[in-house]
Amino acid sequence: MTSLLRRRARTENADAPVISMVDVGMTYPNGKVALADVNVEIGRGDFVFLVGPSGAGKSTFIRLLIREQLPTTGQVQVAGRDLLHMRHGQVPGLRRRIGIVFQDFRLLPNKTVWENVAFALDVTGTAGTTTRQRVPQLLNLVGLHEHAHHLPTQLSGGEQQRTAIARALVHDPAILIADEPTGNLDPVTSWEIIQLLIQINELGTTVLMATHNQEIVNAMRRRVLALEGGHLVRDESAAAYEREY
Amino acid sequence: MGFLRFVGFSVVRAWQGFWRNAMMSLAATATVILMLVLLASLLIVIAGLNSGLEFIESKVAITAQLVDDLPADDRRALTEEVEALPGVASVEYVSPSAAMDRLRESYREVGRELDLGDPDSNITLFASLEISLTDPNASGDVGSVLSEHDDVERVLTKQAQYDTLLGVINVIRTVGIIGVGLVGLTVLFMIINTIRIAVYSRANEIEIMRLVGASDSFIRWPFILEGILCGLVGAVITIALVAAVWDPIQPAMVRIFQMPTAVSGRFLTTISIVLFAVGLGVGAVGSWISVRSYLTAAR
Repeated sequence: MTSLLRRRARTENADAPVISMVDVGMTYPNGKVALADVNVEIGRGDFVFLVGPSGAGKSTFIRLLIREQLPTTGQVQVAGRDLLHMRHGQVPGLRRRIGIVFQDFRLLPNKTVWENVAFALDVTGTAGTTTRQRVPQLLNLVGLHEHAHHLPTQLSGGEQQRTAIARALVHDPAILIADEPTGNLDPVTSWEIIQLLIQINELGTTVLMATHNQEIVNAMRRRVLALEGGHLVRDESAAAYEREY
Repeated sequence: MGFLRFVGFSVVRAWQGFWRNAMMSLAATATVILMLVLLASLLIVIAGLNSGLEFIESKVAITAQLVDDLPADDRRALTEEVEALPGVASVEYVSPSAAMDRLRESYREVGRELDLGDPDSNITLFASLEISLTDPNASGDVGSVLSEHDDVERVLTKQAQYDTLLGVINVIRTVGIIGVGLVGLTVLFMIINTIRIAVYSRANEIEIMRLVGASDSFIRWPFILEGILCGLVGAVITIALVAAVWDPIQPAMVRIFQMPTAVSGRFLTTISIVLFAVGLGVGAVGSWISVRSYLTAAR
C-alpha cells in the first residue's frame, strides 16, 4: 500500500515547499478583507492544522490553494506551480495534485462507494484497467473494501468521510486538504479519521487540516497556523489550539 | 485511447442525463419537432412555388397580335426584325385558322366544345407572332419594341402573371422565415433551459468533477451532447414524419407546381439533410450557450 502513495510523479523540487504564500492578501469586491499579508511555507510531508474562529479567513485560504479564487495581492505557489500565472487549462492538472475533503463529505448519493471513488478517475479520463486496480487499493487503505457496493446512505458518517478521503487520494496528490473533516462526526469517529490522516501523512502526503476541534489539535501537537481577521497571528510547531504563553 | 475514453464517457453521460431529466428533455425534443415540421412545410411550399416560377419563366413568351390583312412580305420583314432582337430565341407565325384550331383544342381538353353560334359566322382570330425568349428579363424590351411597331395590333406577355407569383413567393418566404425564426428562438431558449436545469440539478457532481481535476471538456461535452441528442431525436422523428407524407405530396408537387420528377425525387434527401443539420445545430448551440454561461460563472 505504501507504494500507492509514493509512486507519484516527482516533477517538483523535493526540497521546495509544497505550499508557499508570499504577502498574500485577499479583498472581496464588497471591500471585506479576507486575508492580509499572509506569509506561509509548508514543506513536503508536513502535517499542519489551520485554526481560527469563523470568518477568520480559513475558507479563503483553502480556496486560494485550490485556485477557486486568486489573491488580490501576493504570490501563491502550490506543488511547484505559480497559481497567479497559471492558464485556466492548467487548473485541472493542479487539482489532481491536491486532494480535498469537506465536513459534509460531498459524495454522490446515487453512486456506491466504489463508484464515488471511481468517478474521480472516470472524469479525468483514466483508463478502466487503472481504475479497477486503484479503487480497491484505496478502499483497503481507508478500510472500506467490505462496503464497496454500499450507497452513501447505507454508511455511517465516519464511513462516508473515509469514502471522501479515498476519492481525494485517487490521483495520488502531493497535498491533502481537509476542511473540518471531523465537524459532523462523534469524538470516537473523529479520532479514527485523524488516525487515517496521520497514516496518509506518514506515507508522504502533506496534510493541511482546517479545524475547530481543540481536543484534536492539543493532543496531536503538530504545526498550527492560526488566522484571525484575515491575519496569520500564529505559526508554531508542536503547538496547541490556543496560545500557551 | 484517451480521446476514445473521453468520447465514450461523454456519450454515456449524455444518454444518462437525457433520461434522468426525461420530462424536460422530451419537452425540448417536442419543440424541436414543432420547429422542424414548420421548417419542412415552409421548404416544401417554397420549393413548389419556385418550381412553378421556373416553369412560368421557361414559358415566358410574347404574343404579338398582328394588324388585319398584313401582307406576307411585311410579316416576314417583321419576323426577321424581331428575330434579330437580343434575348429572342425563336419567332413562330400563327395564322388566324391555326389560332382557331388551338382554341377549339383547348376547349376539348377540358371536355367542352367551342360554340361560336352561327356556323357560318365570320368570326376570326388575330394572326400573331409567338416569340420565345432565351432570357425572361428581355421580355420588357422586346415587348416595347413590338408595341411601337405599326404592324402590331397588341402585345400580350406573361410578365404580369410571373410578377404576381414572384410577389406571392416573396411574401410566403418572408412570413415563413420570420415564423420559423421565432419558433427557432423558442426552441433555442427551451434547449438552453433544459440543459440549464440539467446542469443545476447536477451542480454537486460538477463541483466534485472540478475539485478532482476534471477538465472543462469532460464537464461541458456531456451536456452539449445531451442538447444535441434533443435536436437529433427531434430531427429523426421529423424526417420520419416528412418521409411518411412524402408519397402523397410528391405527385402534387409535380402536378400543381410543375416540379420536375427528378427534382422532386431528390427533394426528400435534400430536406432530410437540412432538417438533420438544423436539429443538431439548434441542440448544439442551445446547450453550448447554457453550459458556457454556467461554467464561466462558476470559474
